[in-house]
Amino acid sequence: MESFMKLFMQLMGGMGNTLWLFAVTLVFSLPLGLLLALGRMSKNRILSGIIRIYNLIIRGTPLMLQLIVVYIAPFNIVGFTWDRMTAAIVAFILNYAAYFSEIFRSGIESIPRGQYEAAKVLGLSKWVTNKSIILPQVVKRILPPMSSEFMTLVKDTALASTLSIVEMFTVAQNNAMRNFDLTPLYIAGIFYFAFNAIVEQLFHLAERKLDYYR
Amino acid sequence: MNTMLEVNGLYKNFKELEVLRGVSLKIDEGEVVAVIGPSGSGKTTLLRCVTQLERATRGSIKICGEVLCEDSPDGSVYVDKQKRHELLLKMGLVFQSFNLFPHYNVLKNIIKAPMDVQGKSRQEAEEIARRLLEKMNLADKEGAYPYQLSGGQQQRVSIARAMALSPALLLFDEPTSALDPELTGEVLKVIRGLADEGMTMMVVTHEMAFAREVADRVIFMDDGVIVADDRPEAIFSGSGNERIEAFLSRF
Repeated sequence: MESFMKLFMQLMGGMGNTLWLFAVTLVFSLPLGLLLALGRMSKNRILSGIIRIYNLIIRGTPLMLQLIVVYIAPFNIVGFTWDRMTAAIVAFILNYAAYFSEIFRSGIESIPRGQYEAAKVLGLSKWVTNKSIILPQVVKRILPPMSSEFMTLVKDTALASTLSIVEMFTVAQNNAMRNFDLTPLYIAGIFYFAFNAIVEQLFHLAERKLDYYR
Repeated sequence: MNTMLEVNGLYKNFKELEVLRGVSLKIDEGEVVAVIGPSGSGKTTLLRCVTQLERATRGSIKICGEVLCEDSPDGSVYVDKQKRHELLLKMGLVFQSFNLFPHYNVLKNIIKAPMDVQGKSRQEAEEIARRLLEKMNLADKEGAYPYQLSGGQQQRVSIARAMALSPALLLFDEPTSALDPELTGEVLKVIRGLADEGMTMMVVTHEMAFAREVADRVIFMDDGVIVADDRPEAIFSGSGNERIEAFLSRF
């Protein structure tokens, strides 16, 4: 029992890095994703084309590869080294911004043109139109795909182990291998599940809150 | 008599496609003008040019005597943004598909623009909105959301929304085309009521009986031009024009 508690505490320690990765990635990749979506939809074909290619590369290659490239490439190019955790965070942000941008884009493009036209004829400014008319409707529409993406991110944090960052999964894996015992991995699985159950519940509440209109 | 809308030699191209090919018309204060004609004849595009949803290719548009755009050999030249905004607020547009804001209740749909654009206080805007809802027979619906309303009710809310900015000219783009026949009547009744109050209106419609009874003038458009612009009796009693008679025979 004592050893179980020790294991539990070790895993909780790894959870710190997991949570940190999750939170920082969201804080930066959501706004960046929105900017990418707007650029992708802009009439400027060069900008739109560049972002499309960016999204293609990011979504078309493994996140594990991107983690290593972000960590090592700056050293190869300009001799710059950085902290592994920072590199991991940057890679996650760059990766998730691409996925989020496509979700934002699908949401924004699903709003009927008539909404923009009604707002324009009523004299509402572009800013007010986007902020008060379009954005709230976009948020409602993208909640389901966003919830999937958030849950994927929770699990993807395990990939930080690629850069030898000690997050929860690494702790569990090392423990399991050392003792040839699956218990730590089962517990890690339950942790991820619990984390995602909370994420899912929060999205469920948000959806319910926006349920007052169709 | 003040002229509320004056359009001269209006052309609108979408790439190669010429949708309007030299449209000229005038609408005086208090007039109700029905615009009829086959699909694709340019009726909606005409409304959209007047309400700045489309940019004219050539020709001029004047609203309440003030220039929105003037013709030039290089295409229509528009006035500056500030002026365009001012002229936009002189007009209300009612869409075929209502285009109410689904996340706002009825009252908020109506008061949003008066508060945000005209800087009215909430109290003042709500007073105007409630008066309009009364007139639209929707006094009990101010807290409802658009999805809870029938099509006819939604369209009446959208008329109230357009009226809330006290436009000098109200434009309708096939206001009953998206409605079941039994809901058409309640919307037409409201428009008729506005006509009786002297509201200046231009109504693109496929409701021939309505055009005949309510309009002071009927404009028949076909293939991007105005074929006839006359009193309803003249248009509907066999004008001698083949195109008009062929069109009317389908109703």
